[in-house]
Amino acid sequence: MGQGMGRPDLSRRHLLSAAGGLSVAASFGFAALGTGADALASGADTRVRYWNLFSGGDGANMIAMLDAFRKAHPDIDVKDSTLQWGNPFYTKLAMAAAGNRAPDLGVMHMGRVTGFSPGRLLDPWDVDLLAKYGVREQDYNPALWKRGVIDGKLYALPLDIHVQLCFYRRDVLKKAGLLGDDGRMVPVTSTDEWFDVLKKAKAAQKKGLQTIGLWTNDQNFQWWFFVAFYTQLGGTWFNDDNTEVLFDPDKATQVLEFLRRHVTDGYVIPGAPTGEQFINGAPFTWEGNWSVPVFSGAKLDYGATPLPPVFGRQATHAESHAFVLPHQAGRGGATDEGAHELAAYVVTHALQWAAGGHIPAYTPTLSTAAYKKLTPQNEYVSAMDHQATEPKVWFAGSTGVLAQDLGPVVVSSTMGSAKPASVARTMKKHLTRLLAAKNPMDGRTAARGDAVA
Amino acid sequence: MTTSAHMTTGAVAAPARARTATAVATVRRRQGFQHGGWFVAPFLALFVLFVIWPLLRGVWLSFTDANISGDGASFVGLDNYREALNDRAMWDALGHSAYFTLLVVPCITVLAFLLAMLAHHIERGKWLWRLCFFVPFLLPSTVAANMFQWLFTQGIGLINETFGLDTPWLTDKSYAMLAIVIETLWWTVGFSFLLYLAALQGIPGHLYEAAKLDGANAWHRMVHITLPMLRNITGLVIALQILASLQLFDQAVVMMDFGPGPEVSTRSFVQYTLEQGFTSYRVGYASAMSIIFFVIIAVVALARMWLLRNREESGR
Amino acid sequence: MTTAVQVRRSPRPRKPWTPGQVVLTLLGVAVSAVFVAPIAAALFTSLKSEAEAAEIPPHWLPKVWTGQAWKALWETGNITDWFINSLVVSVCVTSVVLTVSALAGYGFARTEFRGKSVLMGIVMSGLMISPAVLGVPLFTTVQQMGMVDTHWGMILPQCAPAAMVYILYKFFQGVPRELEEAAFIDGAGRWRVFFTIVVPLARPSLAAVGIFTFIASWNNFLWPYMVTNNPDLMTMPNGIATVMNSYGIQWAQLMAGGLMAGLPLIIVFVFFQRQIVAGVAHTGLAGQ
Repeated sequence: MGQGMGRPDLSRRHLLSAAGGLSVAASFGFAALGTGADALASGADTRVRYWNLFSGGDGANMIAMLDAFRKAHPDIDVKDSTLQWGNPFYTKLAMAAAGNRAPDLGVMHMGRVTGFSPGRLLDPWDVDLLAKYGVREQDYNPALWKRGVIDGKLYALPLDIHVQLCFYRRDVLKKAGLLGDDGRMVPVTSTDEWFDVLKKAKAAQKKGLQTIGLWTNDQNFQWWFFVAFYTQLGGTWFNDDNTEVLFDPDKATQVLEFLRRHVTDGYVIPGAPTGEQFINGAPFTWEGNWSVPVFSGAKLDYGATPLPPVFGRQATHAESHAFVLPHQAGRGGATDEGAHELAAYVVTHALQWAAGGHIPAYTPTLSTAAYKKLTPQNEYVSAMDHQATEPKVWFAGSTGVLAQDLGPVVVSSTMGSAKPASVARTMKKHLTRLLAAKNPMDGRTAARGDAVA
Repeated sequence: MTTSAHMTTGAVAAPARARTATAVATVRRRQGFQHGGWFVAPFLALFVLFVIWPLLRGVWLSFTDANISGDGASFVGLDNYREALNDRAMWDALGHSAYFTLLVVPCITVLAFLLAMLAHHIERGKWLWRLCFFVPFLLPSTVAANMFQWLFTQGIGLINETFGLDTPWLTDKSYAMLAIVIETLWWTVGFSFLLYLAALQGIPGHLYEAAKLDGANAWHRMVHITLPMLRNITGLVIALQILASLQLFDQAVVMMDFGPGPEVSTRSFVQYTLEQGFTSYRVGYASAMSIIFFVIIAVVALARMWLLRNREESGR
Repeated sequence: MTTAVQVRRSPRPRKPWTPGQVVLTLLGVAVSAVFVAPIAAALFTSLKSEAEAAEIPPHWLPKVWTGQAWKALWETGNITDWFINSLVVSVCVTSVVLTVSALAGYGFARTEFRGKSVLMGIVMSGLMISPAVLGVPLFTTVQQMGMVDTHWGMILPQCAPAAMVYILYKFFQGVPRELEEAAFIDGAGRWRVFFTIVVPLARPSLAAVGIFTFIASWNNFLWPYMVTNNPDLMTMPNGIATVMNSYGIQWAQLMAGGLMAGLPLIIVFVFFQRQIVAGVAHTGLAGQ
C-alpha cells in the first residue's frame, strides 16, 4: 500500500492530498484569526454586537426597529444575535462576560439584574451619554428606573413592562352572555364568580376544546400565575431586611387549590397547546402579553384583561425587559457609544415594540395618540399600576434560581402529583434555604445588611 | 496490558564501541526503540493541559466557593461535598441519569443484536441495510433531538398522528423520559449494530457447518455458537452504552427546550452540574459534583475491567 | 484501500430467493422504513411552508412543495458561518488528533522510555474523562487561558482523546518488528522509519481514527456549547440548538438546517461505507 505502487491514479492522489493539505492549512489559518466569517466580511466603522432573547413576534418587531436604526445610522453596523430565551440566554451572557468576550449590548429581565453581579458581569450605563441620545430619568416611572439602579449606578435601562393577561374570545363570551355593554368581559371579583364564568363559557364553546389555557405543565407560567394570585391575597415573601421568611403557607395553599381546581373541574386539557386551542375557539387563555401579535395576526375577535382579581385585589405578574452592558475589560470608545445610541434609539422608538403587546417603559410613548388607539393594549395598560413581582433578591428574576426551584413544585400541585398543602410547605422550605444561601458571585446572603456593600 | 516481550533494559550502555557489524546492527536496532518520549510528548502536552490539569483544578475548585468570574475564591473545606450529598435535586438528577441508563442499555443491546442478525442474514443489499440502520448515528445529537421534539409535539407531531394517539410525550412527566429513550434508541443503535455485525462476520463459518453436520437446527446454532461467540462484543456494547448513557445531556436538553422537563423529570446529572456551574454561577459546587460524577464513572469503568480480568482468569 | 474494493467486485453467483430470504428481506424493508422515516419526515417538512409545517393535524407530504425554508436559511441565517466553523474545527481537530495520537500510539507500543507504563496507565484513565464529566473545571481552565469564544478554545480540548491513542497503540503492537529492525540496521533514523515505514502500514487504522474523529468533532455539541457564546463562532449542532431554536415555531427552517448539518456526514458515509464499517469493527474489536 506504499505510494510507489504505480497505480494510474497516482496524480489524482497527489492532487487530492494537495487539496487536503490546503484545506487543513486554511482551517488552521481561519482558526488563528479567531473571528467568525461574518465579522471578516463586515466593513463598517463601528460594529455593535447586540444579543437578545426575542423570538416570534417580538423578534420580528425588534428586527424592524433595528432595521430602522440601521437606515438612520449607516455608519454603525449592528450585529444582532437571538439566543434561546430563558436560562440558555443568561448562561451564555454570563459565560461570555466571564470569559471577557461579551457583546457590546444585551437585553435582560429586570428581576435578573440583582443576581447578575452588577459591576462584575455588567458595566454601568453612562447616564450623560444616554441623555445625549434623548433618554433621561424623568421620562420613566421612578420605581421602574430605580429597579435598574444598584449602588447608585444605573445598570439596566428599562425597555418595557410585560404582564400576564387573561385573553378571552369575544365571540364565545358573547354567546355565553359574559360580555358587558362595553364589549369587554364582565368583571370578576371572587373565585366562585370566576368558576361560574368558566362554567357558562364551557356551555357555549366548541366541543373538544379546553375552556381555558393555563400552561399547567409549564414551570414558568405556573410560577408567574402563582406570584400573581399570591400577591392578590396580600401574601409576602420576606421581611424588609430579607432576614426572615414571611411566606404564608395557608395563602399559598389557597392559590394552589385555585389553580388545581381548573384541572379537576375539567376546564383544562393538560399538555394541550394553549395558543392553538385559543385560536381554534377555546374561550380563555392566560398568556403573556407577547401573544397579542399572534392572536391579532390570526384575526381573532378577542380581548385581554389583567389576570382576574379573584382574591379581591388587582395584581398580575409583571416583568421588564431592560438593556444592559455586559462586562468588557476595555469598555469605552466608539463601539460603546454606538451601544448607548442604539439602546436609546430603541427605547425612544418603542411604538413598534408596543405593537408586540408590551407596555413601553418610556412614558412619552404611552401618551401618544397612536399608543392609545392600540387594542387590546389600551384594555390592559392599567396592569402596570398593580404589578406582582418577585422579591428583589439575588436569586429572583425571570427563570432565575427562585423560579427554577419553585416553578416545578407549583406544577406538581396543579397537575395533581402532590397535595397543595404539602407543596406550600415545600415552597416555604425552599425559600428558607434560599434566603440563607450565599450569592455565589459575592459570597453574601440576600439579607439587607449583608447585601449592601 | 502486558509489556512486550522485547524488553530492552539498561544493557544498551554496556557494549559500547563494538567493532563487529552484528554488534553495530544490534546497537542500532536497540537504539531505534530508545528514548521514545519524543513520540509521546505532543500528545502528553495536550493531555496534561486539557485532561489532567482540569481534573486537578476541579479537585481544588471543589474545596472552594469559586464563582464563574474566575476570581476571589476562598477555601471552604468539605462544604460543597456535604451540601451535595444532602442535595435532593442532585440525587434526583442522578436518579434520572440512572433510570435513563437502565432503560436504554438493555433495549439498545437487544435491538442492535436483532438488527445485526437481520442484516447479516439477508443476502441482498447489505450496504442498504447498513446505511439505513446506521444513518441516524451520523446526525448531530441536537439535530436528531430536534427532529424527535417535533415528531413528539402534541398537535403538530407526526408520531401521535401516525399511530392515532394523543399522548403528551414532552409535557407529562410519565412520558417525557420515555420520549428521550425512544429518540436515543433510534439515534444511537446504529453504532452497536455495526459492532455486532462485524462480530457476526468474524465468526468462522466452519463452526456452523460442523454443527449442521451434527444435526443442530438454526435455534441450536444460535444458542450454542452465535451467542457464545458474541459474548465479548456484548460486554463491550453494554459497557460503552452504560458509560455513554450515564452522561446523558444533549438529547434531553434539546427535547426539553433546555429546561428540566415536566416537573423536573428529565434533568440529568450532567445537566444539573452545568446548571449549577453556568446558570447559578457556582463553579465550586459544580466542581464538587463533577468530581463525584468522575468517581461514579471510574467505578463503572473499573468494575468492567475487574469483570474482564475475572473472566480471563477463569478461562472464559 | 483500492485492493479491497477490487476483491469485492469479483463476480458472485446470484443466490436464489428462498421463502426465508423473502420474509427476511421484507422485514428488513419494514425496519429500514422505520429508521428512515424521521429523516424523510424532516426532509418533507423542510419543503413545506412554515404555516403548513405547524398545521394541526399534521401530514407527511407537503400539499404545496416549496423551497422557501432552504432559501430563507441561506438568506437570513448564520448557517453559512456555522458551516465554515464546523468545517474548520473538525478539520483542525482531525489533523491534530491524527498526528499526536499516531505518534503517541507508536511511542507507547514500540519505544522505551522511563515511566512508560505509568504514563500509559494515566493516559488510559483519560478514557473516563469527557467534557460531560469535567465540563465545569475544563471551562474554567480554558477561561484562564483566554480561549473562551475562540476557535482554539473549541479545538484544543478535543485534541487529547485517549481512546484514539489506545486504538493505534493496539495496532502498532500487532505490527511485526522485523520491518523496522531491518531499516534500523540499514542505518535509517527513527523518524524516517516512522514516517516511511510505520505510517504507510497504519493507513487503514489511521483512516478509521480520522473518520471517527471527524464524525465526533462535527457532531460534538456539549463542548462547543459550553465554550462558545458568540453566535458568529458557533458550529452547526450548537447554532441549530441554541440560536435557531429560538425562533420557536419555524419548523421548516429548523429541519432544513438540521439536514444541512447532517448531510455532509451522510454523504461521506455513502462514499466511505466500507472504511467506516471496517473502522467500527476495528475500534470495537480493539476494545474487546
